Amino acid sequence: MTLLQDTLEREGLWSVREARRRGDLVAVTAAMPALRAADLLALGALADEIRTVDVGADVRFCTQASAAERAAYRGVFVPRAGKTGFDFLREVAIARITAKPAACVRVDWDDAGFELSQVALGFGANEIWGALANKRGLPILDEEMKKVKGEGMVSLQALKRRELSRLLSHVGRNVVFVETSDAD
Amino acid sequence: MQTEKPLPTFESVEAKVHRGERLTFDDGITLFREPNLLKVGLLANSVREKRHGDRTYFNKNMRIEVTNVCVASCLFCSFAKLEEHMPGAHTMTTQEAWKELEDRMADPPSEVHVVNGLHPGLPFTYYEELLRGFKRIKPDLHLKCFTAVEIHFFAELYKMSYEEVLTKLRAAGLDSLPGGGAEIFHPEVRTRISNDKATADQYLQIHRVAHKMGMKTNTTMLYGHIETFEHRVDHILRVRALQDETGGFQAFIPLAFHPDGNGMKNLPAPTAVDDLRTVAVSRLMLDNVEHIKAYWVSMTPDVAQIALSYGADDIDGTIVHETIYKAAGSTSPSGLSYDELVRLIREAGRTPIERDTFYNVVKEHAKSALPEAAMKVRDRKQNRHLEVLS
Repeated sequence: MTLLQDTLEREGLWSVREARRRGDLVAVTAAMPALRAADLLALGALADEIRTVDVGADVRFCTQASAAERAAYRGVFVPRAGKTGFDFLREVAIARITAKPAACVRVDWDDAGFELSQVALGFGANEIWGALANKRGLPILDEEMKKVKGEGMVSLQALKRRELSRLLSHVGRNVVFVETSDAD
Repeated sequence: MQTEKPLPTFESVEAKVHRGERLTFDDGITLFREPNLLKVGLLANSVREKRHGDRTYFNKNMRIEVTNVCVASCLFCSFAKLEEHMPGAHTMTTQEAWKELEDRMADPPSEVHVVNGLHPGLPFTYYEELLRGFKRIKPDLHLKCFTAVEIHFFAELYKMSYEEVLTKLRAAGLDSLPGGGAEIFHPEVRTRISNDKATADQYLQIHRVAHKMGMKTNTTMLYGHIETFEHRVDHILRVRALQDETGGFQAFIPLAFHPDGNGMKNLPAPTAVDDLRTVAVSRLMLDNVEHIKAYWVSMTPDVAQIALSYGADDIDGTIVHETIYKAAGSTSPSGLSYDELVRLIREAGRTPIERDTFYNVVKEHAKSALPEAAMKVRDRKQNRHLEVLS
């Protein structure tokens, strides 16, 4: 028995995993008390496994979604809204476990912050929305350029995208940048 | 610094951990490179829970930095000012430092943690009197003061051996040493980021001397700047080797690099994923260090709380007035209240334990305030009855 299997058994999540694999969302939803009480990493491990099967390794970055697009979003958006980081990750994982197969689970980094958004990708999220920002949280504008050795002037937006792609490739994920939301 | 032979698989490292075998350098690299952070976290958490269950430690401490005047020019530092007259430079009088403590005596800390710049102009008696004054105000106060880098500086400046410095400071009231100043031990990194202060060998020798004198100390690692995973594992193994020899380290504290206002401001800060991975790998590699601390000042309270599921069993303390990370752009608050620390730990599903500096229990709090239904599920799974005590 692997550590993961052992952990899921111990936390009462193995049956949830089996139900989710059968597509029995009623049984999954009925297990909500167990999901809410489960160890955070066990929950994350289950959510991550489901995410891998459902939507693969792609992470969709939508950097310019309008308010209307946000309102019309048909995936599952998990707001942070005053939650601790711990509770936020729990909600992301539960959203993935209880979502319809192949649904998008989204976090917004202007709401949750880049740090937690990145961690959320390991707890079942597969979409991040929000304008590209520098480390102080200020949006990086289209026209901002930086001189890069051997490359001449390069837009900061391009550099940021490259940096994000590299960061996420380290954790086995691929970045797909989209200029506007067309996610279902 | 690269490993050349094929690395062990994660599964083989996992099996070694379950068998209780010591992990090697290559095992550490495998853990740092494993793409699935949750797997590393689960493994580290299993070790953490085997040692400590869900007990999570914190203390009532306060930080005082009496001077930021410092002759060293570490690239990562945003706190130091080279000379006394420079803008932003400050050196407290002993009375000013004591007043910081006196102002807290309505709800006194159990520990004062003093870390300073390397000031070339203060007499040694300043530090001795500083310690004596703190003890006069609160005789049972634990004084965790002066990093090994400061002790080395004192030894050179005042022409004493490490033993003499420590003996005199202990006589004045020093109880233990904090872990700061370790940075990254490997010379490929250390000579580039902090070339003009204690070397790795000197840092470790001071801790060795302190341990042999019966003092407990902590140790740290500053990660997320120019170092590689190999440098981190090398650093951790040097800590483990000294701990095998002396057993004097109480806690290992990974410190996240913050880039604002220092000589490496062009580098990005480490991400939360890197923070969690470093905590987890530290827990797994350091089989002889009892406590791994998620220092909330360096990784933010949010991430530190999550790190309690990735191998950390200590979240540091109330601190009150931290300035070193603040100067480097940390967005963490300067201090957290006692109740906030208890809440952070409880919300992570852990039992908050107020400790003294030596990890003796001062107060054990009830585990959590989970909703009743959730609590019942936990009861059934663990086949035991839980009582909420407070």
